[in-house]
Amino acid sequence: MKRNLNPEGLETLMQAAQAGDMRAYERLLKEITPKLRQMVRRRRQFFTAEEVEDIVQEVLLSVHAVRATFDPKRPFMPWLSTIAHNRLIDSARRYYRGKLNEVQMDELPVTFADDWTNVESEAYRDPEELSIAIKSLPEGQRKAIEMLKLREMSLKEAAAASGTTVGALKVSIHRAILNLRKALNRE
Amino acid sequence: MDTDKLIACLTEDADPVRRLPSPWIRTASWLAIAIPYVAVIVMMMAPRDDLAVKFADPRFLLEQVAAICTAIGAAVAAFQSIVPGYNRRFLVLPLVPLTIWLASLGQGCVQAWLRGDAASSFTSDFICIPAIALVGTLPAAVMVLMLRKGAPLWPYASAALGGLAAAGLGNFGLRLFHGQDASLMVLVWQMGTVFMLTFLCGWAGRLFLDWRPVIARVRRNLAAH
Repeated sequence: MKRNLNPEGLETLMQAAQAGDMRAYERLLKEITPKLRQMVRRRRQFFTAEEVEDIVQEVLLSVHAVRATFDPKRPFMPWLSTIAHNRLIDSARRYYRGKLNEVQMDELPVTFADDWTNVESEAYRDPEELSIAIKSLPEGQRKAIEMLKLREMSLKEAAAASGTTVGALKVSIHRAILNLRKALNRE
Repeated sequence: MDTDKLIACLTEDADPVRRLPSPWIRTASWLAIAIPYVAVIVMMMAPRDDLAVKFADPRFLLEQVAAICTAIGAAVAAFQSIVPGYNRRFLVLPLVPLTIWLASLGQGCVQAWLRGDAASSFTSDFICIPAIALVGTLPAAVMVLMLRKGAPLWPYASAALGGLAAAGLGNFGLRLFHGQDASLMVLVWQMGTVFMLTFLCGWAGRLFLDWRPVIARVRRNLAAH
């Protein structure tokens, strides 16, 4: 790290930056950014490129915030390394705290659009096939389906309309549904 | 935000900054505010009658010098702790006078115990707690303001050192108007209060020394540009 940088140069640049020299400051930040990136990558090997960049930016913001604490009589690199190391520890603390607060959950079907929530209706999505299956039912069962499921009549209304009993209708509708399931390969 | 764009924004925001003086100079500035305040409190509380006699007592002088040196050492260490790049060995700076202070009090306790009057001289002296807190209030407040100008690298350590500096100075002032010199009493009540205040300040360190508001301020400035 120190091999490629001229520490004296960095100190001079920072001194100029403290005096408000924007060019010196830009040069300084551009020189230290790849080194910071390298430092973060080396210490946080499991971080994604995006996470590394986030930390590099945090360090740059920190450097900017506390640039008044730099003393040009002292070396620049220990000053920068202390800030970077400190922010890395902070980021690790945040990372592990975030992990601790995460609750692992199975994927649950919670929307009507999700296929898992539509298991029952899935086989009836072909209305033509369903219509053919209903037509192929014995007459009693077909009428029970038509009245109770298609016209949505109550059991009493359907019993009165068909001249049969509620009990007989219940048996018919139960058998009709079983037959429809068989016909539509649901069993 | 792209890093190159961030650098461009930071460069635009790079107004000249006033460099932070060295920790020793900052300590001198802190003392320049804190000592007159302590003197005013001592005068308000009325200095003890036997003060002239006490200044001739080597033990009293040693403990007072140790107290003020602990305060100064802790202040220097606190100001160093907010400047990146300093070796962490600065943390031991106040430990030397603090050890001398404790050793002197400890020796006094042993002598009282050998004389057999240690237990009889021990009474409650709760006044030490608010008195040290009162004498240390302004030094502590000034210390917080000064620490906030640096980098919040070790919030708990910085705050504890700042608290030790203020409480040490508070104890120094207290002994100038509070006539309690029995070593055991000083050790338990006064030193106990100093440690308690140091611990409380350290515990509250994150409240006033934290990167988050520092970075948030920079972000606000960048957004305003």
